[in-house]
Amino acid sequence: MPLAQTPTIVPVVVDDALCIADKGCTVCVDVCPLDVLRIVEGPDGSPVTAHMKYDECWYCMPCEADCPTGAVTVNLPFLLK
Amino acid sequence: MDEILDGTTQIDCDILIIGGGTAGPMAAIKAKRKNPNANVVLLDKANVKRSGAISMGMDGLNNSVIPGYATPEQYTKEITIANDGIVDQKAVYRYAEECYSIIEELDQFGIRFQKDQNGEYDVKKVHHIGTYVLPMPNGDTVKKALYRQLRKARINVVNRYMATRLLTGEGRIAGAICVNTRTAEFLVVRAKAVIMSLGAAGRLGLPSSGYLYGTYENASNSGEGYSMAYHAGAGLANLECFQINPLIKDYNGPACAYVAGPMGGYTSNAQGERFIECDYWSGQMMQEFYDELQGGKGPVYLKLNHLAEETVAEIERVLHIVERPTRGHFHKGRGTDYRKDMIEMHISEIGFCSGHSASGVFVDERARTTIEGLYAAGDMANVPHNYMLGAFTNGAFAGLDAVDFVKDVDFAEFDMAEVDAERTRVLAPTKRDDGVPPNQIEYKTRRFVNDYLQPPKVTAKMELAQRRFEEVRNDMENQMYVRDSHELMRSLEASAIMDCADMAAAASLYRTESRWGLYHNRVEYERDDENWFCHTILTKGDDGKPAHAKKAVDDYIVEVDDDEKDAYNNQRVTKTVAAE
Amino acid sequence: MNALFEDFDEIAELAAGLDDASPGSRIMAVMELADSADPAAIVHLARAIADEDSGVRKQAAQALTDFDGPETAAALVSALTDSDPAVVEAAAISLTELKDPASGDAILPHLGDADTVKLHACLAGIKELRRPEAMGPAIAALQHADSGVRVEAVGVIGWLQDEGSLPALRDAARDSDTQVRRTALAALGFSKSEHAEATLVEGLKDPEWLVREAAAETLAKTGGAACVPALRPALADEFWQVRVKAVRSLGKLKATETAIEIAPMMDIPVPNLRKECAAVLGEMAVPETAPFLEKYKDDPDPDVRKNVRWALGRMGIE
Repeated sequence: MPLAQTPTIVPVVVDDALCIADKGCTVCVDVCPLDVLRIVEGPDGSPVTAHMKYDECWYCMPCEADCPTGAVTVNLPFLLK
Repeated sequence: MDEILDGTTQIDCDILIIGGGTAGPMAAIKAKRKNPNANVVLLDKANVKRSGAISMGMDGLNNSVIPGYATPEQYTKEITIANDGIVDQKAVYRYAEECYSIIEELDQFGIRFQKDQNGEYDVKKVHHIGTYVLPMPNGDTVKKALYRQLRKARINVVNRYMATRLLTGEGRIAGAICVNTRTAEFLVVRAKAVIMSLGAAGRLGLPSSGYLYGTYENASNSGEGYSMAYHAGAGLANLECFQINPLIKDYNGPACAYVAGPMGGYTSNAQGERFIECDYWSGQMMQEFYDELQGGKGPVYLKLNHLAEETVAEIERVLHIVERPTRGHFHKGRGTDYRKDMIEMHISEIGFCSGHSASGVFVDERARTTIEGLYAAGDMANVPHNYMLGAFTNGAFAGLDAVDFVKDVDFAEFDMAEVDAERTRVLAPTKRDDGVPPNQIEYKTRRFVNDYLQPPKVTAKMELAQRRFEEVRNDMENQMYVRDSHELMRSLEASAIMDCADMAAAASLYRTESRWGLYHNRVEYERDDENWFCHTILTKGDDGKPAHAKKAVDDYIVEVDDDEKDAYNNQRVTKTVAAE
Repeated sequence: MNALFEDFDEIAELAAGLDDASPGSRIMAVMELADSADPAAIVHLARAIADEDSGVRKQAAQALTDFDGPETAAALVSALTDSDPAVVEAAAISLTELKDPASGDAILPHLGDADTVKLHACLAGIKELRRPEAMGPAIAALQHADSGVRVEAVGVIGWLQDEGSLPALRDAARDSDTQVRRTALAALGFSKSEHAEATLVEGLKDPEWLVREAAAETLAKTGGAACVPALRPALADEFWQVRVKAVRSLGKLKATETAIEIAPMMDIPVPNLRKECAAVLGEMAVPETAPFLEKYKDDPDPDVRKNVRWALGRMGIE
């Protein structure tokens, strides 16, 4: 497979200590218009925390605004900040 | 999640609404209220809770026609003048007549409009002809309030399904083919009527930051509505009238001079001189912006640093909370303080969006397209200078008309081979082991859009664009490669973007005159009312390529006096005054 | 394909989640109850707003924004004395989103509350419900030590649009706090009485420009005989913001006799002021002012030249 692994710093940061994905919360994943967030699963397949999987962010903020525990922070993408 | 599954489901409904942003939910609510027995399905590529252009909210109405502040006649006249006369006034006038009742309804939904200390609407004056700006102090709750209404009306909502093609049969609409963005499973919806409310083509030009998603419009608005309408055979009007906006450089969001303007802020050149009318975005205003930059008087700024502290604090409060709340973060990150610094602005990438210009799927005053049973509303329909209230109002028109239309019709027969062909097209990138990922296809397409289609428009450049697009399309159709269903969604977006790029070039080449200021500034041609005082209608030709026709502008129902036309022309001429 | 459409689950099922041992799960239950948009959820959210976990309480306070009525209002009022300020803030915001006048039943008994934060939130909540019973407590709250409370009290009074409140609004217009005075003057806009007009005229002499601006703007609404002479000195106010409002109001009042005083203001190098002057001179269309405008037909400021040309056109001059 010729696809490269190019590193990128992503704008959305999740505080694992506050995230309640393990309780079944998927609010940030649900509300993202570009569908770039996902839930990290543990070895047994159970949800652990949310993270930004795809660097395709419009920095619009619903994930941060709607998070019930204040675990999500939206930074501006590096290229335009 | 995101693995590619095999599967197709079929459902039937009376009205399928594609796009749950602004116009779509209003269409759904209106249709369901008018006939509670109607089976209405609202489908969204994202989640209706936060989808569309107003995902995070909106700070105000730019085009409210409120009794006592403006009349439908005044409004229609202004929109006619702002669009160089190329307007079917019936649709504009109906909007102007009925938008106030929509404001009252939104107010009941819990969306607040600014009121004065007596509880009356606090409309801000921006223009001497009429007063149209109504701020929304809790505009960040718009989507929440809409969602509440969808739930109350018990609308069937389908999230995370992307419509890719419309189905037609018996000369009318028959439904749509959709694909799940997280599983790649197919959904075929048979519908008696379809309302398209898929938003702008906002991912057409490439922002100067180079970040694919750093667009002015919500980056999920990638132009599928235009592409689907095109492939279904609908007419698209005046696509050469691009959307181009004056934005905060890099951040690429609106500077909201219309908020700051009444409080004394203005757009200035590097000398701190005011040179531009900043209250109302128009092609002429963008032309003046462009001229200032070309004339070596740039950069261009939003200037607030001459204002009183109380005023700056008020502007910050309004601008940093609603619509694009990251704006405050952006300025803070760069150490920009409105009290001391001017805010650098630039010219945005191009897009299609009737919200701010006049292009889109052709519709009449009932939001009907040229295909029976197919409607369009919001940023993708061609009612000019729509903004958010236009999306709500025209969405309501679409829902109300569609619910009557479906009473007397059954499902149209369509050819199942169309569904099979679409499955093959959609899934092709999943069948390869190797190839070009969608982000690179998209980047290259959009870079060529910038290189060759960003106005001023030059014939030779646009012809080159067409050749480059054909090459990239060939790569897209034969080499695009995706690894999961998320990438598959991006590949479908890349395809819609390519269609829009093709249409942008073809439409711009067809109209051999200049019109709408910078939006359609063709350097080899002057304005030519004799030959081009008309709409241009783009359709899919028999050869599968864009075909063009002229369509006469409907007789005006509100006459524009000669002296008003003169005032407008005078303003044009004086761009040379600014350039001196 | 069950998961195709969004769910409409039974409220009782969703509410069961409020008994989960984990606060995170209870938060999830609150959010699902909110999304139901079903009034049957209110009683459960009222329970959640007294949860032992502050995160759950805050989420419940936010969730109640989606509902209305006295039950909702009562739950929100109960949260105004929460130990966590974030819960109080969320409840206060949700209170301002109420629309149903009947919701006021749960707020009215608290309009004399000793707790400043609670009183502030209750006044803000009752304002848009326009309950006449709120007038007395609001007038009483004008004496409150906290200026924020006084501003909200003025808001309640202004929305009720009752001529009987004019003496109270006059007192508020003489308050020690700028914001209270500004709000009180704006609140007088509903009245065409000489009383309101006299208070506004007095406001034009206020030491704070924000207050003078409010007075100049609101005078156009009251529109009595004393307005025009009172606004004339405001044309020379040291703050252009006040002058703009004075010009605009004289235009609305169709005070054509002041046109010749407004015309020389075209020379003042403040863009917004010149733009407004040109527009108002156009509305008044007094031919004697044409020479002042003609100088600026080709003004570098496009707004100014547009308005100037429009104004000259109204006077029949091209």
